[in-house]
Order: sequence, then structure tokens, then C-alpha cells
Amino acid sequence: MIRLALPKGRNLEIALAGFRAAGLGLAGLELGDRRLRLTFPEDGLEVLLLKDWDVPLYVEYGIADCGVVGSDVLEEVGGDLLIPVRFSEGHCRMSLIGKRDDLPKPGEQVRLASKYPRTARSVLADRSWGADVLKLSGSIELAPLLDLAEVALDIVQTGRTLRDNGLVELEVVRQIQPCLVVNRAAYQLHRSELNRWVDRFEAAEVVE
Amino acid sequence: MRVSAALPTGVAALFLDSARRHRELEDTLVKHLLEGRFEEVILPVVDYLDPYEAMLTNTASSWVARDELYRFVDRDGEVLALRADFTPMLARLLAPRLGSLELPLRLFYRGDVLRYQEERAGRQRETYQLGAEVLGLPGEAGERAALQQFLELLAVGERRRVFVVMGFAGALDRLLLRATNGNDPTDLVAAVMRRERRVARGHQAALLQVVENGIPDDASELGDLAAERLERLMNTCSELNTAFPEIEMRVDLAEFADQALAPELQLGGGLRAYYDGLVFRAFAGAAAEPLGGGGRYDGLFQRLGAEVTASGFSLSLDRLLGHGSDIQETRP
Repeated sequence: MIRLALPKGRNLEIALAGFRAAGLGLAGLELGDRRLRLTFPEDGLEVLLLKDWDVPLYVEYGIADCGVVGSDVLEEVGGDLLIPVRFSEGHCRMSLIGKRDDLPKPGEQVRLASKYPRTARSVLADRSWGADVLKLSGSIELAPLLDLAEVALDIVQTGRTLRDNGLVELEVVRQIQPCLVVNRAAYQLHRSELNRWVDRFEAAEVVE
Repeated sequence: MRVSAALPTGVAALFLDSARRHRELEDTLVKHLLEGRFEEVILPVVDYLDPYEAMLTNTASSWVARDELYRFVDRDGEVLALRADFTPMLARLLAPRLGSLELPLRLFYRGDVLRYQEERAGRQRETYQLGAEVLGLPGEAGERAALQQFLELLAVGERRRVFVVMGFAGALDRLLLRATNGNDPTDLVAAVMRRERRVARGHQAALLQVVENGIPDDASELGDLAAERLERLMNTCSELNTAFPEIEMRVDLAEFADQALAPELQLGGGLRAYYDGLVFRAFAGAAAEPLGGGGRYDGLFQRLGAEVTASGFSLSLDRLLGHGSDIQETRP
């Protein structure tokens, strides 16, 4: 039986749609399901419902064999996981945002607020301007709005929240998408089954 | 005054039962090594940084990365580093002495290695390793002897579902060189290591087959030398599966995609491990961190001015013991 870690957030909808389109089961699992651990014996699956940020850890530790997680979380957490496929739905972007229309000028030192400090440091590595990275837990848009930071690094989906708050998307730094991640050891143990999954995802055209 | 018992991140103190279990396992493994005519070497925990500078890599994908080393300036101005890997230290100390030693040599060592790791559950900065090296056995006999000893140690005790993945350095050189066509191979190698189908498919069928299945359907795609080597490896794998039925043996070349021999693929001239022949890793159950691994590294001695065949391995005692509290128990 394969143990699959699924995120409770936005990516659950994409993962469920992907698995169902590929005919890989998960019937009865609904968005908003409050159970933490569900078994689907007929599909040979056990599902753990986790916070997005915990999925890589569970998979890397081998508690789950594989999982679905956004590439933003994956880059930030930095685990050693295999990524056989990326889902084609659920694309969004990670962008630098701010109140003024342009990025900081060369040589300028600013504050940058983000939920993704590790990614932020990577983004800053080859810039002509510098920033002190402030790690926030949420409502990142407030930081530039209230001058806690000049710029923020955050996920942008439609851009509506930014527009509604008078903020500007200054630069797209990453394209983000949900990924199927697999533990290196679990891949060896369940390779044929995981390859079958991937074939079916591809046939259903739910992955790139 | 109340004193805190807290320890720095990534290190642990073992007391009572934990310490006893650790020593019992260590004693058992050492006994096996001694019975296999391996002799112990005791190496310092601190060494000059300078001899290792050329071997350090910029990322942690293969050998010790620059940022993982604990280094400091001694009071007399020497730049020193804490031991992060036994093999290069042993090689550097043995290379000038090899002429006066009788080959083959079978050596083993044990002790802590220290590598900085970002703070994360399960990422230890100090780990206790036990390892062995076989020097001076001709051809592939040394590789075989090291692997055989590795499997014997893994077979000690009752461990659940241990499997060993094998490959060899340079196996994918031809495929990768063809696919990158003179461009920077870094991204492609990383994608193959991550088994990214989309990327592999964009290049050639054989690369996709390696990503999916570990080996190509048609071994000749690897080039004559690598194809021949793969055939021998598959035979070895099959023989060892029979000799060690409790350990599953597999060949997966994608697992070692960063072990290139072609200079163009050595990712910036240094971003590679020191292995240049057989490479292997052992995993326990579904835990992603390997119990240990090893391989052949003649080139490391060559860089140090000595001509000798060399193969070895190391095992993490912490992970071997951790595997005792089997997480598989929580599965339905």
C-alpha cells in the first residue's frame, strides 16, 4: 500500500482532480474533510491530510511514500525529493511586489518581507540591490502597504488582491505549480506502481 | 545555579540504554570487520583545511560542500577543519606511505563526522560513522570486496527491508553529453537526479528510460564501455541477491547521475564526488536518508600522487539504530 501525503490547502483540489481524472481513486475524499488519515484499500492507498509545509518532511522521512506539494514550498524547504511530474493545473507565480512602480535601485538597501526567506535570499543573490529579509507568517501584502518593508516576495494568483490594495507586481521570479514528490527510497520500493500513476496522469493530461 | 542541559542543534548525547545499544552495535560490527581481516586506523577529528580545498564542492549534492565544513583559525594561525569525511583524510595520510606498506590493505575506522546542516528534524550535524577501505586489490576485486563487506555488516542483526542501490560513475556520461550538446549540464543532471520525466522526455528515449526504470532498454545507448560495465554490474547484482537474500539489490543509474567521469560533465570542475567506479547506497524501508554507502575512488589517490586501487564504504550507526524503531509499524 502506498502512503500519500496531500496538502489541505488549495493544492488538495488540484491533486484530487488529477488523481480522479487519472482514474487513481480517492473516491469519498472531499475538500474540507476533517479526517487526518484515510485508507482506500481498493486503490492501494492511504492518504494523510497535512499542512502544505509539512508534506515534504513527511515524505522525506519516509512516513509517506509520496505527496503533492507546491514548488514554492518545495524550494523553501529544500528537501532531497524526487519530482517525477508537475501538475498542469494550479499555476501561479512568485513575485516581488511593492507600493511604488519599480524595483529598488542599484546599491539601495531595503527590507523585504516574505514567507519564503530561503527563496528570498536566493532571489537576492544576484541583484544589484540588497535587502534585509523579514520572515512573516501571512498577510504579506500588509508589509509594503504599511511600510514594514519596501518590497515583499509572495505568491500571486490573479493579482486582484494587489490591485485592490494599491500594490504593484514588480517582477515575476518563479512560476509555481503543484508537484508530485516521491521519497528516494520509496521510489525504489514502489517504482512500477509510481510509474503507472505517472503514465495515467500523462494520459489524462493533468501533468506537464 | 541551574545549568541548562540543552545541546547545539544537530548533536545528541546518548545515555544509558541508548549508549549501550550504540556500543553493542558498534562492537558487533567491529567484530565482523576484524574477522574479515580488516585492521583499525584511528584518525584525528581536526585536520588542516588546505589539503581538502581542491576537493570541496559548492553544493551538497555529492561530497562535502564548502558550507558544510566546520572550519576555524587556530591560535597559531593555521586554518583547520573538523572531520567531515573519513575517506579523503585516510587517502591523504596513506598516499605518501603506500610505498612502504604491503598491499592489499584492509582498513576500518570509526568515529564522528561533523557537517553543518540547516536546522531540520532528522538532519544531524554530528553523526557516528563506521567504515572500511580496501586498497590494492586489482581490477574490480576491490570493489567487490568492499561491497561484500558492506552487505555483511548490513545483514548483521534483524533489520527490516534493507535494500542497496548500485550504479557506477560515468554510466550516464554519453547520454548526458549527447543531451546537453555542449551546454551547461547542471540543470539536466539535477533533473535526472530528481527523476523529472518532462525534462528527460525532452531529450531522448534512453534518458527517459533511465529516469523511469534506472537503466535504458538498450544498454548500447550508454556507449560500449558503459554497456559492458552495466552487464557486469547486473550480473554482480544477481549474484549478490542470491548470496544475501535478506537484502534487495538493485541497479539504478539515475540515482548516481552526478557521478560523471567526463570533464565536461563535472559541473564547474569540482562539483562531484570522488567516486570513479562502482557506487552504492543502502536504504532502510521508506526512510530517504541512506544507512550508508560507498564505492571505488582510485582517482582520489591519483590526485594525491599515489597509484592504487581503492574502494570503501561507511555506515551511519545513528541511522542503523534509528531503523530499529521501525516507522513501518505505523502502516496499515
